[in-house]
Amino acid sequence: MCIWCERYADGYQRWYFNPANYARKLYKIRREETEALGAEANPQAAGGMALLTRGFLEALDRNDHEAVAKMKHDVEQIAWTTHFGQVVPLEDILKVIDMIYPIALMTCACRRSMLGIPDEENFTCMGMGPGMYKWERWPDTYRGGIQFLTPDEAKDIVTKLNKRGLVQTLFTFGTPYLAGICNCDYPDCSAIRTTIDYGIHFLWKGHHVARVDNELCNGCASCIHRCQFKALSFSATQNKAYIDLFQCFGCGLCVSECPQDAITMVERASFPALAKVW
Amino acid sequence: MLPTITVNNKKCTDPLSCRKCLLICPTHVLGLGTKVGPKKHQEIDPSQFIVAGVRFEKCTGCMDCVNVCPKSAIQVSF
Repeated sequence: MCIWCERYADGYQRWYFNPANYARKLYKIRREETEALGAEANPQAAGGMALLTRGFLEALDRNDHEAVAKMKHDVEQIAWTTHFGQVVPLEDILKVIDMIYPIALMTCACRRSMLGIPDEENFTCMGMGPGMYKWERWPDTYRGGIQFLTPDEAKDIVTKLNKRGLVQTLFTFGTPYLAGICNCDYPDCSAIRTTIDYGIHFLWKGHHVARVDNELCNGCASCIHRCQFKALSFSATQNKAYIDLFQCFGCGLCVSECPQDAITMVERASFPALAKVW
Repeated sequence: MLPTITVNNKKCTDPLSCRKCLLICPTHVLGLGTKVGPKKHQEIDPSQFIVAGVRFEKCTGCMDCVNVCPKSAIQVSF
């Protein structure tokens, strides 16, 4: 069980299956607390990623481990309080979509900042909950506007994005308030990038890991391009897919691409050494 | 080794529609942001957009961004 489940699952199997974590009450708390501090409650300002400055990279560059650890700690504390994500397999996302309303498609802020993707090509992000009714309050955050979706439309879109190779993640906006379904890939998702490149824990691993059955794997390598986390490689010696289970984020993208059904999702908690690897 | 990357915002006036440097960078070092940050109703304005170095540790010094810029607005030095 991840610490978010320990704190916020309240008897549900996962913290993101607990309807209380999508409730309007939490949305209001985040907004009002932010505004009480005299700050703009713009959801885009929720992130901690923007707090990583050149100073952090300079400390990394000169191998100043102490300074890196301190900055990492500080940024993570802010992120975990306000805005961080967890990888969630597609089947769980589909269940979440059945629980919450409304859901709206919006443009991805990460891809805009990484590549300047035009709005009309950039609708890969989803917002959930009462905040979406107020999107016009923040035209910059919701650049390009939003499109409200029925649950069936939302499921269809995440399924297509998953097929395309994008990882589904849930994001908090004032933890534990869950209000974003992101569809991420390396290197254009800031959260994946910060997590993989800098070891800063913006994106938590999911509750599963993917395991290759070497008896069934025929070495076709059709899974290899699916991994966004540098966990999956190809063993030339064995002519098999190889997954580093300590690096696997449990998104399930490789699983769904395997024509031999040689990769299966296994509960992280069933491995003593992985149970606390998040 | 980290580079110093400067982008002359007086020369680079519409990065949102140009974005040649963002697309050519092999390691996505550059970022597109705004002068105003997350500020209500201001960030929507294309004239507020700027390009800047962000992920300096991944810069190889290939100079592709310097060469692709139609306004010669980018400088990279080590």
